[in-house]
Amino acid sequence: MSDERREMFRQLAVYSQVGMTFAFSIIIGFGIGWALDNKVFGGKTSPYLTFIFLGLGITAGFKNLWELTRKIEDE
Amino acid sequence: MEHPILFISLILEALGLPVPHTPVGATLLEKICEPYMTYTWMVMAFLIIVPKLTMGKLEMVPGSGQNFWEVTVGGVMDFCTENLGEKGAKMLFPMMATFFFYIVIANMIGLIPGFMSPTSSLNITLAMTIIVWLTHHFLGFKYHGFKYYKHFMGPSPVLAPFMFLLEVISNFARLISLSMRLFGNILAKEVLLGVLFMLAGAFFAPLPILCLGVLVSLIQAVVFVLLALLYCAGSMEHAH
Repeated sequence: MSDERREMFRQLAVYSQVGMTFAFSIIIGFGIGWALDNKVFGGKTSPYLTFIFLGLGITAGFKNLWELTRKIEDE
Repeated sequence: MEHPILFISLILEALGLPVPHTPVGATLLEKICEPYMTYTWMVMAFLIIVPKLTMGKLEMVPGSGQNFWEVTVGGVMDFCTENLGEKGAKMLFPMMATFFFYIVIANMIGLIPGFMSPTSSLNITLAMTIIVWLTHHFLGFKYHGFKYYKHFMGPSPVLAPFMFLLEVISNFARLISLSMRLFGNILAKEVLLGVLFMLAGAFFAPLPILCLGVLVSLIQAVVFVLLALLYCAGSMEHAH
């Protein structure tokens, strides 16, 4: 395999992960919030923590994307 | 879906051992007799016995068997060196090569009737991913000492608690997306093969999927090892 091909393959592997990591950050953020609301605090804080952690999850997803674009700029 | 014919399960059932038909068995014995466990052991036995048989004694002028293993193991070593550098590659090579060979063989045996890919069970892929995840954080602490926490805090101290939460979430997302990708691809291959075989097996309908399955098996193994290497490299470098 030539170097160019190899580099292309490496980037394909990295970017094939992007979409899924984005989706799972949102799901995990929501999950943590939901668990805190309903399991830890027993529904007293519902639904505020769910929404706060959902927001955090979405931000984490975008932060991943942002870091990736920074990496591309560096290369 | 109807259970496929798995010959190890049949043998175990003939021996009188309980083989569960649910995703996770109830008792310890049932858990051990799960198809993904028995086939994992089969892959392990394959990986131990076949190199022993084909390699024989190491010689200066390699025969065909030794040549094959030198090329494959050397290829994995080059792959590690490219992503980690000389020193890191030497340290992590045994683990990564184990993952690579295990995943390749585990994916490939699912293409043969009567066998099942252990990697089409989320238990196996999640276990492997947790090993990678713990290793890369351990390496981070080993290389940076306590200052590794700076990786999680972002650039400014004001935003640090916020950034910490974000990093925790994206770390768990990493864990799940890595395991889900391998699991999803291999399960899709298995289910698709099963369905096509049931619908039009007499007309060789699964044949194109079998060809694709070989490709998917190899690519998923390479991608898993590559991402594991990139995570390790990321935790070993300095915080930005």
